[in-house]
Amino acid sequence: MLLHGKRRTAIALTASIGALALVLTGCSNSGGSTTADGKVALSFLTDNAPANVSLAEGLAKDFNASQDKITVKVETRPGGSDGDNIIKTRLATGEMTDIFLYNSGSLFQAIAPEKNLVDFTNESFADNVMDSMKPVVSVKDKLYGVPVGGAFAGAILYNKKVYKDLGLTVPLTWDQYNANNDKIKAAGKTAIIQTYKDTWTSQLDVLGDFANVLASDPDWATKYTENKAKYATDPVAMAGFEHLQEGFDKGYYNKDFGSATNTDGLRILATGEGVHYPMLTSAAASIIADYPDAAQDIGVFATPGDDPAGSALTTWFPNGLYVPAASKNVDAAKEFIAFAASTKGCDSETKAIGVTGPYLIKGCDLPADVPAYVGDLLPYFNKDGGTQPALEFLSPIKGPSLEQITVAVGSGITSAAEGAKQYDADVKKQAQQLGLSGW
Amino acid sequence: MHAVRKSWLGIVAIIISIFVFLVPFSFIILTAMKGKNEAGFLSFSWPTEFHLWDNIVEVIQTRNFMLVTALINSTVLTVASVAIMVLLAAMVAFVLQRRASKWNGLINFLVLSGLIIPPAVVPTIWVLQGLGLFKTLGGLILVEAAFGLSFCILLFRAFISTIPREVDEAAIIDGAGSIRLFFQVVFPLLRSVIITVIVVQSVAVFNDFTNPLYFLPGDENATVQLTLFNFQSQFDTSWNLLFTNILLITIPPLVMFIFFNRQIVAGMSSGAVKG
Repeated sequence: MLLHGKRRTAIALTASIGALALVLTGCSNSGGSTTADGKVALSFLTDNAPANVSLAEGLAKDFNASQDKITVKVETRPGGSDGDNIIKTRLATGEMTDIFLYNSGSLFQAIAPEKNLVDFTNESFADNVMDSMKPVVSVKDKLYGVPVGGAFAGAILYNKKVYKDLGLTVPLTWDQYNANNDKIKAAGKTAIIQTYKDTWTSQLDVLGDFANVLASDPDWATKYTENKAKYATDPVAMAGFEHLQEGFDKGYYNKDFGSATNTDGLRILATGEGVHYPMLTSAAASIIADYPDAAQDIGVFATPGDDPAGSALTTWFPNGLYVPAASKNVDAAKEFIAFAASTKGCDSETKAIGVTGPYLIKGCDLPADVPAYVGDLLPYFNKDGGTQPALEFLSPIKGPSLEQITVAVGSGITSAAEGAKQYDADVKKQAQQLGLSGW
Repeated sequence: MHAVRKSWLGIVAIIISIFVFLVPFSFIILTAMKGKNEAGFLSFSWPTEFHLWDNIVEVIQTRNFMLVTALINSTVLTVASVAIMVLLAAMVAFVLQRRASKWNGLINFLVLSGLIIPPAVVPTIWVLQGLGLFKTLGGLILVEAAFGLSFCILLFRAFISTIPREVDEAAIIDGAGSIRLFFQVVFPLLRSVIITVIVVQSVAVFNDFTNPLYFLPGDENATVQLTLFNFQSQFDTSWNLLFTNILLITIPPLVMFIFFNRQIVAGMSSGAVKG
């Protein structure tokens, strides 16, 4: 009996240790860089926005079909600050995928490209990248990324059908815009949609107004970085905050603006209950996906300012594709990048998600049948000076609390002047953290 | 009079538990049955069209059946790391409680610092890389076990202090060695606290999001909580699919609970009386 008990314990112990060892070793296949059929296997990390996942999978599929030496496999990561942390952690530990998709501009600058990324300056495909895109994926004249997807804008999405029904015309100045708002309000519809449950959506009035700031002073961004220009003291820059307050004061906003989500906002716009929505134009793609009937009803115009000839469009550059220096398959990864930065790459992107904006690869033309909102964007892009980059591409400073401040201004809690002052203070902390001179 | 008040309390408790547990759960089920646009309203309403089956199929098929891989990974992760925690924590706690030595102070300090000092991501990855365990399920199992161990040791220690020393002494007099003393005499007596630890830590490990996110990258390594991010992104969320996914990954723990309900409740309450 005793012996029996002892042996049983021993067997149980051995078994559990064995099971543990199995678990510990059995799963440690590190995923070698070649697959069974002798192809080089590349991993490709994208964020989990449905459009970017489809884009990445479309590119990978077409690239895999175009040659027989390399296979690309897509992985996803969360977006937002979790995603930023993942990118930084994986780069710091040398565990980044062979190719990854990430923001261009200030977020790109924050991942230490010179240390972490492969330099594309002397590759043949570097010439395919449009000159306007190059600064936002370069550090000191060295190119580290190629654009993926179309450019987009921070502007005002509007419902064309309601405009037609009410006999309105696209406003060129802020006063005309307000006149339209009054008519829409009188017709019993929501003039301006605001959705503060997703706090980031509240910033568009300020960020999308930046082209007007640049129109009044082309060097504003440089002065801003050098601590010489301020939102609170420059009346043109403060206009964005004032617009938010004005919308609240005049009762243009939807009743549930405090608890509405971005999804709600897009629905209200698509159904025509609301008419104006200051938003990123990339959001219009999800209206088209969710409300195909409304696809041709959604239009865009630039955030109006004071110029009677109309304002320029504040644009955002698309994400970049990068290759980490720690990748074991740099040459194969470059072949994929070359594919993405060619007209074949844009065609593949168009096939995967449709056209969301102009491409920044040379020679990439848009098909004739683009969605209505893209059709509205093109005249701005085709005109000299019709577009201006957003502030985040010209200055490394973007205060982390802007969205909280704009929510407070748009909800009538803080005045525009007070909000602008708070944002200047918020920005100061960040500039000091970045170690900029003059702060 | 007394009985009336008691039943009153019971009714209030039932109503509260309905609000706390059943209402959210029925909201999950209702949203999981809706189409994308309707689910976007996030309203507590009966669906106009039923898409439950379509949603389930789509969720399971998303990204090459990632959910299936994730369920397997999460099960292995939870079972293995909780097994390690229970076994090691019980052993450590037994020795700490029964054998006083000059090291006890230091060991107690280390156990407590495991609770207090937050884990750092990059150094941990560096250690895992050095051991060749990074990006392996085994590595994550060890990470989870390490993070949960301190708490378990404290629970076990407190419980072992209530077991009379005479039990050990009787076993030793009967000729039990130290291994047998632990596994055949003490360990079975720990039943109630073992169940507590299993329940608490299984929930913690199964629901863990950040550790798998950082220590186990890669689609083939996904755990269930990471699959939620297939449907929820910064700008666009498919609420119907998100809630269907939540429903699907809630079922395994729920089934477990239904099956082991009796043991769990019995274990916990016997622990309560003894402790």
